[in-house]
Amino acid sequence: MREGFSAINPYWDKDFFQFFSVFFSRLFYLLTGQLSLTDLASDEVQVFVLALVAISCGLLGVFLVLRKITMLANSLSHTILLGIVLAFVITRSLATYAGEEFSINFEILLIAALISAFLTTLFTQFLTHTVHLQEDASIGLVFTSLFAFGVVLVTSLSRSSHIGIEAVMGNVDALHVTDLKLIGLVTLINALAFSVFFKEFQLTSFDSVLATSLGISAKFFNYLIMVLVAMTSIGAFRAVGVLLVLSFLVAPAISARLLTNNLKTLLFLACSLGLFCSLCGVALSRHILSFYHIPLSTAGIVVTLMTLCYTLILVAKKTLKLAAKKRRA
Amino acid sequence: MNYSLFDFFTDPVFRAPTIGSMLMCLASSLIGVLVFIRRRSLLGEALSHATYPGVVISLVIMSLYFPDSEEKAALGILIGAFAFAFLGLFVIHQMETKLRVKSDAALCFVLSSFFGLGILIASRIQITHVSWYKKIQLFLYGQSATMTDIHILIYGALSLLIIAFLLLLFRSIKAIYFDVDFTKSLGMRVNFFENMIFLLLVLAICIGIRSVGVVLMSGMLIAPAIGARQYTHKLSLLFVLSGFFGMFSGFFGNYLSVFIPLVLQKEGEKTFSLPTGPMILLFAAFICALSFLVAPHTGLLSRSMRIIQFRRKCVVENALKTLWKKGIGEGAKKQAIFDGLKITRISSFFVLLKLVRQGWVEKLPSKNYQLTPFGFEYASRIVRLHRLWEVYLVSYLGQKVEKVHRNAEEMEHIITPELERELTELLKDPKIDPHKQPIPAKIGEL
Repeated sequence: MREGFSAINPYWDKDFFQFFSVFFSRLFYLLTGQLSLTDLASDEVQVFVLALVAISCGLLGVFLVLRKITMLANSLSHTILLGIVLAFVITRSLATYAGEEFSINFEILLIAALISAFLTTLFTQFLTHTVHLQEDASIGLVFTSLFAFGVVLVTSLSRSSHIGIEAVMGNVDALHVTDLKLIGLVTLINALAFSVFFKEFQLTSFDSVLATSLGISAKFFNYLIMVLVAMTSIGAFRAVGVLLVLSFLVAPAISARLLTNNLKTLLFLACSLGLFCSLCGVALSRHILSFYHIPLSTAGIVVTLMTLCYTLILVAKKTLKLAAKKRRA
Repeated sequence: MNYSLFDFFTDPVFRAPTIGSMLMCLASSLIGVLVFIRRRSLLGEALSHATYPGVVISLVIMSLYFPDSEEKAALGILIGAFAFAFLGLFVIHQMETKLRVKSDAALCFVLSSFFGLGILIASRIQITHVSWYKKIQLFLYGQSATMTDIHILIYGALSLLIIAFLLLLFRSIKAIYFDVDFTKSLGMRVNFFENMIFLLLVLAICIGIRSVGVVLMSGMLIAPAIGARQYTHKLSLLFVLSGFFGMFSGFFGNYLSVFIPLVLQKEGEKTFSLPTGPMILLFAAFICALSFLVAPHTGLLSRSMRIIQFRRKCVVENALKTLWKKGIGEGAKKQAIFDGLKITRISSFFVLLKLVRQGWVEKLPSKNYQLTPFGFEYASRIVRLHRLWEVYLVSYLGQKVEKVHRNAEEMEHIITPELERELTELLKDPKIDPHKQPIPAKIGEL
């Protein structure tokens, strides 16, 4: 282990390009084992967490966009707040009951994801099937109410409105190595699910009738995607909040969609775009802090970069098309 | 610290927040009816989030140039929110039509991109201008507590504007929403009205975010309309009810957000405040949930009540039929009646009790039960309906004779006197059913 790394943040006072040189040299040390995970600087934790969020969301987002169910992701990413609060309350009271030290861990958060996905689906299905309410209104009513309930609970329990606000804003600066482990696990599960069931996801997304006739349950994969969305939102919750995770899901996917029609390329492009924006976002945030002494929201920067990426790709595509037209004429 | 509900309208501190948020909720719940009917509740979600950067920018500008003027700040925020929501609407429209991005992805993209931009700009001032930053954060979940009488004036005027527009446009709205093609053929400018309605939607969102907040605004748009829809099919009534529900939620949400912290607070603890938005929305959702349960036609309770009543009617009528088949004379044993009902002994006992109380059945000295003349008439009618339906199924619908009994077993409880008359006429008053059983004559012809 090299000494002196953890004493002061190595990114202190670095500009945009210096950030990358420091980052990649330290990444090399990390990979060769000269640097342990606990020695990571906060910027590195941010980069890794955002990158993992981007990869998870890139994979999921492509399928969400293709299946036209991004609004379901919106609904799920909101309701996880209630799931987290409920899981927190239950485990805390259980721990107090057993006289143990209270701590929140991965399993609890994943259970929270399941609870929230389950609750959302249950209520939405109840409204559409039993009360015969139209689908968009059922989704809209359920997730806003559950989210409101979560906000009220968390505000009353913590006696402050701080967590409620952080829930929608995210707070990259408060990230810790444990968050890295959580999102790493989530990314692993996502990658596993998509590599094992790639063909099934592809089929059910494009032709659910054919999938059903081949004996692949479209319903099961729909539910699986919902669970994955809930898990990913929980992983991204601390870093980017419940709303900006949508940008991670949708923006890279529709940007990549402008460039290719091939599903595998689409997945690859969406992930790398998200990765690129996360990396640049953290570097830019550090650059602005070093030179203008303004601490900007890193998540906000990343999302704005993603939007810019989409606009740029769009403009580039249009210009190329126009140029091609002119040449032909 | 005890406040009655009435104090919320008179107390100088509570008056403005209460009336202000009621007016805001009124405006949003009225426009929400249109959003709900059009199935565009997710558009409301996207647009309300799109206002956030507008709120942030205009709040910064207003605080820079007019630091002391409340009304200018409020107006500036309205204008900023309006501009950005409109920009969002424009982008969504362009993406859907020109770029052929699917509607849901376009909505999500605009929602999160605009919101991210808002967060980015807000973070610029979070250390340098803490008080502004706090004001901006209030718009996330809404906080009506800091409103003054000026706000009532501004939001009241705008809510009145929306109501006036709705009243003026009511006939056109009705025409457009229920038959677009017919309206177009009449030469009405449909596009103009649609744009007008979008304008009103954006305006209502901008008004509402002050007390409900950008995050939950979409819920507040549709929740009162969903509640109201459970009671009525009429558009005008839908507006009225939805407006009432909206105002109720506005008031009670406000009241509870003051009241709950007071209850939860323990001795010697720091005071905390609940944001109003979640409380308002939760109250609206509560109204919805209540409506799902108790609404007279569509409510779950009334629906299950109707089902239970029908089942009971079936059981009673089946018991009468069993007795009818025993004929008049020595009557039937209790056990024989119970066996025919296929329900638990205790409920069978109550059914029999009811039959006796209604005067359809009497207890003979031999402890057997027998139909009274009155009950006999009722039972004959059921048997008649059963057999008439069997005749109909066989001779008109070509069903096999051995298959018709089961269906007739259900229909005998449903057929109305009018249907009976029609059937009798159609089948030329048959005397015998497909199973060669006599059909009892119509009541009065015995």
